[in-house]
Amino acid sequence: MEEYFRFAKELFDPAKAKNKPQPLKGIRVLDFTHFIYGPTCTGILARYGAEVIKIEEPGSGDMLRLGAWWGKYWKHTNPLSHSLHLNKYFVTINLKKPEGKELVYRLAEKADVAVENLAAGTAEAWGVGYTQLREVKPDIIYLSCSTYGQYGPLRFFPGWDLLAQAAAGTITITGYPGTDKYYKLPDYLGDFYPGTLGALVILIALYYRKKTGKGQYIDLAQVETMTRLLPHFTYFSITGQELERTGNIDPTMSPAFIHKTRDGKFVALAAGTDDQFKALCTAIGRNDLPAKYPTQLERLKPENAQELNRLTQEWVSQRNAREIVDLAKKHGFPAAEVVDDYQITHEEWRRERGSVETFYDEMYREFLLPGPQALLSKSPAKVNWLCRPVGYHNRYVLKGWLGLSDEEFEELEKKKVIGYWDDRPGAKPPIYYDITTDQMFNYQGDGGDKA
Amino acid sequence: MTTKQPKEQVLIRYGGVAAAKKEREHLLASMMSPEGKPEALEGVVVIDASYTNFAGIVAASFFAEFGAEVIKVEPPEGDPARKMTPFGVTVNGVGIPFLMEARNKRYCTIDLHTEEGRKDFAKLAKKADIIIESFPAGQMDSWGIGYRQLSQLNPRLIYIAITPYGQYGKRAEEFAQVPDADITAQAASGLASIIGDPETGEEPYNWPTRAGAWMAWYMAGTQAAIGGTLALLFREVSGEGQMVDIATADSYATLAQYPVIAGNTWRKARPRLGRYDFSMCPYGIFKTKDGFVAIAAGRDNDFRALLKILDLFKREVEEEFKTISDRITDDLRRIDKLTAHLEGATTKLTSDELVGKTINYSLKAIRSKLSGGGIPFVMKVESPSTTMKNLHWYFRKSFQQFDDPKLGKFVLPVNFAKMSETPPRVKWVSCEIGKDNDYVRQKYLSE
Repeated sequence: MEEYFRFAKELFDPAKAKNKPQPLKGIRVLDFTHFIYGPTCTGILARYGAEVIKIEEPGSGDMLRLGAWWGKYWKHTNPLSHSLHLNKYFVTINLKKPEGKELVYRLAEKADVAVENLAAGTAEAWGVGYTQLREVKPDIIYLSCSTYGQYGPLRFFPGWDLLAQAAAGTITITGYPGTDKYYKLPDYLGDFYPGTLGALVILIALYYRKKTGKGQYIDLAQVETMTRLLPHFTYFSITGQELERTGNIDPTMSPAFIHKTRDGKFVALAAGTDDQFKALCTAIGRNDLPAKYPTQLERLKPENAQELNRLTQEWVSQRNAREIVDLAKKHGFPAAEVVDDYQITHEEWRRERGSVETFYDEMYREFLLPGPQALLSKSPAKVNWLCRPVGYHNRYVLKGWLGLSDEEFEELEKKKVIGYWDDRPGAKPPIYYDITTDQMFNYQGDGGDKA
Repeated sequence: MTTKQPKEQVLIRYGGVAAAKKEREHLLASMMSPEGKPEALEGVVVIDASYTNFAGIVAASFFAEFGAEVIKVEPPEGDPARKMTPFGVTVNGVGIPFLMEARNKRYCTIDLHTEEGRKDFAKLAKKADIIIESFPAGQMDSWGIGYRQLSQLNPRLIYIAITPYGQYGKRAEEFAQVPDADITAQAASGLASIIGDPETGEEPYNWPTRAGAWMAWYMAGTQAAIGGTLALLFREVSGEGQMVDIATADSYATLAQYPVIAGNTWRKARPRLGRYDFSMCPYGIFKTKDGFVAIAAGRDNDFRALLKILDLFKREVEEEFKTISDRITDDLRRIDKLTAHLEGATTKLTSDELVGKTINYSLKAIRSKLSGGGIPFVMKVESPSTTMKNLHWYFRKSFQQFDDPKLGKFVLPVNFAKMSETPPRVKWVSCEIGKDNDYVRQKYLSE
């Protein structure tokens, strides 16, 4: 066993990951997204090596930059923008100007993927929709992210994480039965999850393109990605009843719940299979129970489940969290302490594994990032830089990739087709940073596309 | 349900112009059905050997929906995941979550506890592109059919391992024998700790709360599918397979990012806020005369517009809660006051009335230069059963009705992405243990 763990550690060693190739190397993404839904999707692509060109409006840029919860900025930025926008290229283009559209088309010629999350039809109206971009790049993969999708009666209805959760019904599934208090899925999960699924769909489309050379248009509705993971619809169609809320009890296993321990902590505990149930019964000293409740379905009967949950909860409340988790280790049933944000950032194993990653950035210095979506042994995710001020990569992308001359570039600046940050937190560089000596920002161009 | 398309309201100023474009109409019309279209993952063979773990089953489902040949390998008595179902409700002996993920899959029984079974499995792996497994870290390796051995047999193999704490590191070693469950993964990945009432509330409502669906398993399953597809793409370039390591205790923390970002920059855990949101207010569910609506009006102009719609646009309210910094959710008494104030008005209207009022206001505000651009977002809160009835999802074929001689009538949420070339689809639903034993033996194990 020890040998296997050594082998696995060697295989995934975070120290060696830096020198490994990336799976999306050479893939270019035009990113017209803002807030969380779209940027989550392109952020995943960027972390695995795609070159994501984030196109923002000059001035404020993506509105997410300006928000920080409870007004708490980190080095004058919204801390979330660093994990959402890492490895991206920040270019400003004013799409209202014809020259701006021209720039987008020239970038699109070199792009493989484009992503937008504007209201349905807006990208088309602005001239950067799929039908327009495929004129210049026929095999482009274009993902439109919206709350309700691009067609159907609700398509122009405004959307947001919360509204998607309301429309999908996910807002009514969490909480205690018999109360009128509903908890939404927290932290804009209604944006993060659809965005993550969007990345999966793009990857699959990329695979298809590799095989056939064909691009395509993708319409991803937030609500449909949320309904995809609920058993409630199938449950309703079979039983004719709503799947009611069950508070802290998981009705699919018995027992399965989150409960308070003697030392005031919280522990999640479950027994999904017969083996796990037997292990749990041994741990709680009730070896008579497996004979009484021999099968999974027997244990799931509401009256039995109630009884099993009750007596296990009682057992939990008389023990310390540590003791319970140790018994789970010893006997082999699922149990875990409920951990909060602080514990997640400080648990040793997460850093060891790379689920939480310390990154040293040239501009923002040390920052703690959530790990990548999946650990890959040969082509892992990599972090190169964090979020950058509005228009930071203008010169690099427009001069370096499109080969604009200095005169052309200045002309665009003068016409306000491209621009830089406003004097606002989130948009501008941190005060201690001297942008005038930044090589990337002041990129002089080496004439022509480097790729 | 009627098949006649109702008149569509154009609520966004740009929508009408663009939608009129013929080309776009054609494109969208072509996307309304997956029939006759190719499949993206055709020819990809996936062996799902995950056991009692839905993260693996879900990852396999995604591959299957995009056209891969997915073979679920399970012991002769079946995977216990088949019977993990709300309140023990089953159809023909199969639980609802398993039925839901039984799309386009084949079922083969192989007992990995026997020498013969492992030999068969190795044979299968030789011809497979992707393997998914969820045994304790190192278990497959000790059986001689882990990544280490199989990658020797098949260097192009992509091997996805799903466990609570991953394949390496102190925690993975120490907790290798602790099985996975959704509720423990919710707890260990930081999801449960931020759902529930504030600490000052009454027990048990102020405890960390479970999200009411298998969120952790579905998130981890999605991450596993992402890892697998990335590996497929890398294999196209390098010709090499690789191992993908998924920890379900990471799922929420890495997917939703906030726990790490907040834990790091705040140097403490965020409190639970009950029905409120961290960044925005008002942003949540409000009672109406006949149900609930979700209201998102976090920006100042949106908030002002909301007050106007609710006839609350009076000096005292406006002054007290004027800007975003007046509505920060750190002082809950203040926010309670605001909520009570708003709810006083929302409960006088039905949900439909309130949504209608907002739409009317938005239409007017869009044409007006003086409104300040505020549009509160209001949506009727649907329960799953009413969501299904919404005509919108009928047009988008988001729910598919099945009528199976053995499984009876049931509905599945399907077609989660609409794609012009290779949309996901459900070709068949089946659950019988060992149904495809002959097929699999003939096709993959005959040599």
